[in-house]
Amino acid sequence: MDYHQLLRDSLTRLPTVAATIDSIRKAVQDRGEVVILYFNFDRYSKVEEVYGWEKLDSVLETTGEAMREFLTKSPLGSSKLMVAFPNDDDFIFFHVPKDDTPAATDTEITELTAGLKEAVSSQIERVHGEDIASLFDIFVGRSLVIYNPKLRLERQIYRGIREAANASKSLEHREQAKKVGDLRETLRSRGLYIEYHPIVITDSLKVFGYEALARGSLRSMRSPEVMFEIAAQSDLIWDLSRLCRDRAIEGMTKLLKDGELLFMNVDPADFADPSFDVNALNVKDPTRVVIEITERTAIKDYPKFRGRLKEFRDKGYRFAVDDAGSGYAGLGSIANLEPDFIKLDMSLINCIDQNFIKQNLVETMVRFANEHGAMVIAEGVERKEEFEMVKSLGVHLVQGFFVHKPSSNAVTYRPPIQPAPALAEGAK
Amino acid sequence: MADSAHPPILVVDDNPDNAHIIRDYLEARGFPITVAYNGDDALKAFEEVKPSLVLLDVMMPGRDGWQVCREMKQHPTLGRGVRVVMVTALDDWVNKRQALQTGADDFVEKPFELSKLASTVERNVKLLSTNAAAGGSPATSR
Repeated sequence: MDYHQLLRDSLTRLPTVAATIDSIRKAVQDRGEVVILYFNFDRYSKVEEVYGWEKLDSVLETTGEAMREFLTKSPLGSSKLMVAFPNDDDFIFFHVPKDDTPAATDTEITELTAGLKEAVSSQIERVHGEDIASLFDIFVGRSLVIYNPKLRLERQIYRGIREAANASKSLEHREQAKKVGDLRETLRSRGLYIEYHPIVITDSLKVFGYEALARGSLRSMRSPEVMFEIAAQSDLIWDLSRLCRDRAIEGMTKLLKDGELLFMNVDPADFADPSFDVNALNVKDPTRVVIEITERTAIKDYPKFRGRLKEFRDKGYRFAVDDAGSGYAGLGSIANLEPDFIKLDMSLINCIDQNFIKQNLVETMVRFANEHGAMVIAEGVERKEEFEMVKSLGVHLVQGFFVHKPSSNAVTYRPPIQPAPALAEGAK
Repeated sequence: MADSAHPPILVVDDNPDNAHIIRDYLEARGFPITVAYNGDDALKAFEEVKPSLVLLDVMMPGRDGWQVCREMKQHPTLGRGVRVVMVTALDDWVNKRQALQTGADDFVEKPFELSKLASTVERNVKLLSTNAAAGGSPATSR
């Protein structure tokens, strides 16, 4: 990597701290102070983990763009936005008021922080969708550096950055504690609703079933990933899973038509919950329920796990391996679970039309499924080209924003759900 | 001279015989070819030649093909424009997953037939020109 590439981040086109200090030196000396804001994007690492590094690169580009755009509109004097390090996911802001303006007040800084957070969140939701936007939180820590000519300016600034970073971490911890409270409230009040995301038959586009997606009624609990992360940290995962299952099954009775299947996510850890009993589920017709088990979570005791699966299978429940192909496990571990459905990991579908390795892997999976009497579901289909590619590869079922968005009110927008215009055209 | 139907290609293989067979075959089809025999030289050549396509052997001493591919695809200025085809004897599911994680776009199993190599090069060149005409690859791929 070239020297200059260490001074400017290629994704966001923002300078790094090292490149910025010199340009702000005079302003800090003249005004005698600088406010440092540290933007800590909690769960950006989760975006990378789920969608891959390319996706986080893209989210970081959007983040940098949104912040730059917001700051261009705000008269902020000699203020600078930067990244801590190239390709890192934290941002730093130095605020030095203009000579003719008074020092920044707490209110101004609070407004600035809120404005930046809002600008980033809304831009990310617009460009990358609600799932990604609701996944992360932004914690902004702040510190004030008073210029002292006896000390080297760089070191004063580095200390200020560390102080602001620690402040953002403290906020994150406080927010975490608040979220545990919100989760307890969600469980107490059963404040959770289900969105049903249609899964359609690739060839006919007819609805085959719905995946139940749990959303907390409280804003902080909107993302299922966040809810389950908090539940895992506070040992409430079984309680949350129970509530999600109950709600999904209640909705099934009211909203799904005869023959349509309900796809319900179950964590392998739920099978250790004594109350997750095959006879305790209030399901009239188990053959219409597909239990989705993610490939991401390691199964500790395989024989015992398979034993539990059998209890459900004997009653008529069916199984799907979710996120198939997300790890390095290969086809052997999928075969072990004898699934009725194989749900391909979204990372395999994203831009599959551009990548011949993804096409080859999906083709292999379809062949494997056909040999084992299973059906393959492509989820996360967002573009016409992706739809056409998975169709040509023989994928049986499709789910994704290109076909339908999830809705909590399945009945009012069916049947039939109108395909997107581009799809209708492409499917003729 | 490179044109959109014949963009510059970098061939990376620590076995000179393999590298030269590929070079001669593709040169005869009008592609400008640069050859590198190890990972470090490949990265240098990558910055100098700015190839549109890289044919990258996986098993090389020192920096292997996976590492080189990741560095190329994450290159701040050239990473987005290049397509990387891994050339390898390893053809199972796990290796293909690994190729994806490093950012690779395509895969040729070794030993390969030259006609298979040519069709692989062609389908990637075709995508390069389709994307160029559309003003870049889809945003969601990044």
